[in-house]
Amino acid sequence: MTKEELQGATEEEQQAQSKKALKKQQKEAEKAAKKAEKQAKMASEQQSTEENDFAKDRYGVSPMVQSQQKLDRELVRVQDLTPEKADQLIWLRARVHTSRAKGKQCFLVLRQQQFNVQALVAVGDRASKQMVKFAANITKESIVDVEATVRKVEPKIESCSQQDVELHVERIFVISQAEPRLPLQLEDAVRPEGEGEEEGRATVNQDTRLDNRVIDLRTTTSQAIFRLQSGVCQLFRDTLTKKGFVEIQTPKIISAASEGGANVFTVSYFKTSAYLAQSPQLYKQMCICADFDKVFCVGPVFRAEDSNTHRHLTEFVGLDIEMAFRYHYHEVIDSITDTMVQIFKGLRDNFQTEIQTVNKQFPSEPFKFLEPTLRLEYTEAVAMLREAGVEMGDEEDLSTPNEKLLGRLVKEKYDTDFYVLDKYPLAVRPFYTMPDPNDPKYSNSYDMFMRGEEILSGAQRVHDAQLLTERAIHHQIDLEKIKAYIDSFRYGAPPHGGGGIGLERVCMLYLGLHNVRQTSMFPRDPKRLTP
Amino acid sequence: MALRELSSLEKYLGQKKANKYSTQGNKKVPVLQNNNGPPLVGLVTIACHLAKEAKRPELLGDTAESRAVVQQWLEYRVTKLDSCTKEDIKTVLKELNLYLQDKVYLAGNQFTLADVFMYYGIHPLIVDLAIQDREQYVNVTRWFDHIQHYPGVRHHLPPVVVLRNRIYTGRLH
Repeated sequence: MTKEELQGATEEEQQAQSKKALKKQQKEAEKAAKKAEKQAKMASEQQSTEENDFAKDRYGVSPMVQSQQKLDRELVRVQDLTPEKADQLIWLRARVHTSRAKGKQCFLVLRQQQFNVQALVAVGDRASKQMVKFAANITKESIVDVEATVRKVEPKIESCSQQDVELHVERIFVISQAEPRLPLQLEDAVRPEGEGEEEGRATVNQDTRLDNRVIDLRTTTSQAIFRLQSGVCQLFRDTLTKKGFVEIQTPKIISAASEGGANVFTVSYFKTSAYLAQSPQLYKQMCICADFDKVFCVGPVFRAEDSNTHRHLTEFVGLDIEMAFRYHYHEVIDSITDTMVQIFKGLRDNFQTEIQTVNKQFPSEPFKFLEPTLRLEYTEAVAMLREAGVEMGDEEDLSTPNEKLLGRLVKEKYDTDFYVLDKYPLAVRPFYTMPDPNDPKYSNSYDMFMRGEEILSGAQRVHDAQLLTERAIHHQIDLEKIKAYIDSFRYGAPPHGGGGIGLERVCMLYLGLHNVRQTSMFPRDPKRLTP
Repeated sequence: MALRELSSLEKYLGQKKANKYSTQGNKKVPVLQNNNGPPLVGLVTIACHLAKEAKRPELLGDTAESRAVVQQWLEYRVTKLDSCTKEDIKTVLKELNLYLQDKVYLAGNQFTLADVFMYYGIHPLIVDLAIQDREQYVNVTRWFDHIQHYPGVRHHLPPVVVLRNRIYTGRLH
């Protein structure tokens, strides 16, 4: 556009503008002026009140903790806030779970792990109006340091874990500020399925949870699950160590697949390739041949199976056991079942709070077991299934639905959620499984079940190089590839057996959960590699 | 299917000589050529006729009320049950389960043709049912087990295993 044209256009515009429009413009200008005046007034007011804020140094955002000072200040844990602490002035560090301002008061729920407590900031001689406003505006999930007096309350605060006390805040400082928008709300993530549906409340689906695992892990349910999981590992170690077992560490990068070979991950290894271990099987057995007598191993195992089910992961934690026995492999079964029973007892006695916390969101019946553990033979199980109308062959493997049904039948008959199934058909087990001396169709192998789902697979292993070679040939395995393994048994090998347990499955089934991803902190499956 | 049901019924009624049947149409509706009259068409019609011939009128109900109930279930069998799709199965079983809650037989306390033909008709559904579902429709299963063990009824159908104890008690686990 040329200058002239532009001028012409504006003239035209001016002409077009009616008186009405002019008036409107004027009005708007007046309005803006008023607004500016008001803002200026407010700003000056605020400034003046800020100047008047007597509690200015009792709240605020703390400078980043860069370890500049060693404060001699004791931080009390939220779970220790009981009526015994009443009227004491204490410091604590916690997250802001929720905050809700109500006139001259602001109620905060402060959370630490699975515990929470109510805190109150009220305008008075300790806190100013501005301080209450500041407290109300702290974003959810921010971490704060709070100095407060513990006060007994009546009636109980039902929504908190610390029901008998509340905190009267004297000082509050933000240590780490959370962004105002959270990818998921913690209350939504712990809501039991179906609850609050009428009010249109949301629940968070599993993928959203897993995508934002760090936040999901803060929920009371997740906190309880993984504390219990840690308990399982600890009980496993303690029990076996007491039984004279030695903990071993085995390599996870291996040169050949231990069983079969179809479902292993291949990794490039300098100029050649290697595999990720499916189980520490070979190494446990080598340790037995090397006179370690009883060994166990806790570590990651990898399965490259492309199965997207509720109970399969591509990487999970294996609890593996291998032991030499004297005359009968039932010595091994007894040792493993006793270990499991010690774990169940330990959980029942020491993790009641965690179990109940999980039950609140995912209700299930308490886990039942017998002492000594029930041991059924495969033929008995097949008979039970046939009696219930299932058609299956003598040497057929158990399908997942039949496995679950059998679990139900066993529960009904023996009232136990944990049992051993012994003497599997030889045909459905790996080549290193010892055949049954009485009937070559069967084998000295066993599975263990919790709530009708398999958690452990084990057997007496062939410790005779000759028989092992025969079995390998029968399974059409390339002898060259497993030469080192077979050779281990040539220089005197004691009879031995063992088994491997999936940690995540044990936790899932003990708690009666429905997906193994719930008991894996950062689950790996064919479709998930992050976070 | 319908013809085997009729021949099973004949055996149950103790008829020495089997009738000869033909079928008509795509749906293979059974036809019985009667010696003294026009042909009888349709499963329910023929079944009622056979019961009368065998001098077992009580199988059609012995009061006006039970006669109506028997006819209603026979009709249900050929209209609803026989044309039921996979999605309908649950509705049918739920309906029947509720109805049988306080009854031994479909027409109350007395065994009738309605039980025989509902049993024949529902058999394929029950065979395919998982044990958990059989337990869910516990009244249907109880009635079904009772009828399949009723003397002389089962004939051409394989027996279905029914568990006497409930194994899915409590919640999901």
